Amino acid sequence: MKPKTGRIVTLVVAGVVLLVAVYIMCRGLGLVPGYDFGAGAYYYADIPDYQKIIKDEAYTTTVPTWVHIVLFLAWGVLMYRLWKRIDRP
Amino acid sequence: MHANVSDLWKKEDWQAVWIGFILIGIAVLAVLTGWFDFSALKFSTWSVGEEAAVKAVPLGTQLASWAFWRKCLVTVLTLGVLFTLGVKLQGESIKKYLPAFLCLFIIAFVVRLISAEFTLNRYLEWAFWALLVGLLISNTVGVPTWLRPAIRTEFYIKTGLVVMGFSVLFSNIAKFGLYGLGIAWIVTPIVIIFMWWFGTRVLKIDNKPLVITLASATSVCGTSAAIATGAAAGAKKNDLSVAISISIIFTILMMVFEPMIIRWTGMSQLMGGALIGGTVDSTGAVVLAGNALGPEAEQAAVLVKSIQNILIGFIAFAVALFFATRVDNKKGEKVGAGVIWTRFPKFIIGFFAASLIASFIVLPLTGGAEVKAINGVLDQYKNWAFVLAFTSIGLDTNFKELARNMQGGKVLWLYVVGQVFNIALTFFAVWLLLSGVVFDIPVLELYK
Repeated sequence: MKPKTGRIVTLVVAGVVLLVAVYIMCRGLGLVPGYDFGAGAYYYADIPDYQKIIKDEAYTTTVPTWVHIVLFLAWGVLMYRLWKRIDRP
Repeated sequence: MHANVSDLWKKEDWQAVWIGFILIGIAVLAVLTGWFDFSALKFSTWSVGEEAAVKAVPLGTQLASWAFWRKCLVTVLTLGVLFTLGVKLQGESIKKYLPAFLCLFIIAFVVRLISAEFTLNRYLEWAFWALLVGLLISNTVGVPTWLRPAIRTEFYIKTGLVVMGFSVLFSNIAKFGLYGLGIAWIVTPIVIIFMWWFGTRVLKIDNKPLVITLASATSVCGTSAAIATGAAAGAKKNDLSVAISISIIFTILMMVFEPMIIRWTGMSQLMGGALIGGTVDSTGAVVLAGNALGPEAEQAAVLVKSIQNILIGFIAFAVALFFATRVDNKKGEKVGAGVIWTRFPKFIIGFFAASLIASFIVLPLTGGAEVKAINGVLDQYKNWAFVLAFTSIGLDTNFKELARNMQGGKVLWLYVVGQVFNIALTFFAVWLLLSGVVFDIPVLELYK
């Protein structure tokens, strides 16, 4: 793709995305009447009364927590090494 | 480059840790003993129109309340004293900083007032409005010289992050068993690595902090992840503005269209919810998009997202380590532990320590309800610190710089390609774990 065409495509995509976002906001799409928050609540603690929505006991696992932690750390270390390998010059 | 003991109280990085822990300590004391109210100021939702939510409180009523102004005083005094002390220990003038801080706080007050309005806070909230108000001031009337001493973006961000660490509860890791771990944790680092490779090798974006900030915003949880990794990578103020703006705008689209597409494909609520939890950036949008599909989808979405929320600290830690040992190590020499320690951003240690203390000490000792109450207090201090930071970014930025940081549209394509990859990979993980083809379908206990 030529640089000029690429710039035009990028501008069109950015423009369409912005217009659709503005349309959604103007029409109030995606909101839930009973909830006093929207997409602007970035983090779970930003949600008003999040204690009522984010409950702890929805799922019970038989796998011990330490197994989760070991798997979590093992995958993290593996991915970190992969990242370093991919970043090699 | 070597560390001194005096760095512990003179350097901004360490000061952010101490200020964060002072705030956490006071909040814990206030909630557990009930001796005093340490709540920071928070505007209730108000409205200029008639479509206000039931919970909206008229602005006049809020401003006429003594409790409102008492909380305002607690907030400005607490943050003012702590930040001024920090600035003094850094060798700066209190006379110059204090009036500038008070003015910045007033601007931040206006930002929070605007972002509490019913229509305006549904989609955008404080980060966007803080940037916009700051940008409007700096690009119209300009920033007076006497206000500049208060523009300390990194200081406020690092402090906010240490406070935020207390709300990152590691115990959430087992909330959705191995299913949640598989969806949230297998996919996330792969997406980050893919976006790193695509951004630095294919698109050839030189600004590596921007690439990693956008990658973590896309794969982890939007604004909060961008703030944490941006700070860990030493991203410039414009990098953060660009990454967060892109994430916010696409979140609005995804929270509306993703449930529509999922319903159209006939995917189960459980799978659809998990897909939403793993791919929609902000937590608020995840809950809403999940709700659009149904109660089971909402529950699954919230579970997956709450696991992603705990990844912020680990990703920020890994990014800080990677940048200290590789990106900032331009000669490619073998870096010893001492050098890594010197280069490593210390507030990440504070962030991590706060998370571990909350997860493994305070939570087991006091129980979930107490920790949630403490976080209810701390969340507002975190938000004030971030609003001060984002207003500072806006005040220190001009539109031309911001446009230049888009790198001719490459940043937009990095997000789009990364997000498509994220959706595809998360869908594969969701199908593998929750479709019933390979593993048993888990049963969720719904609270609705």
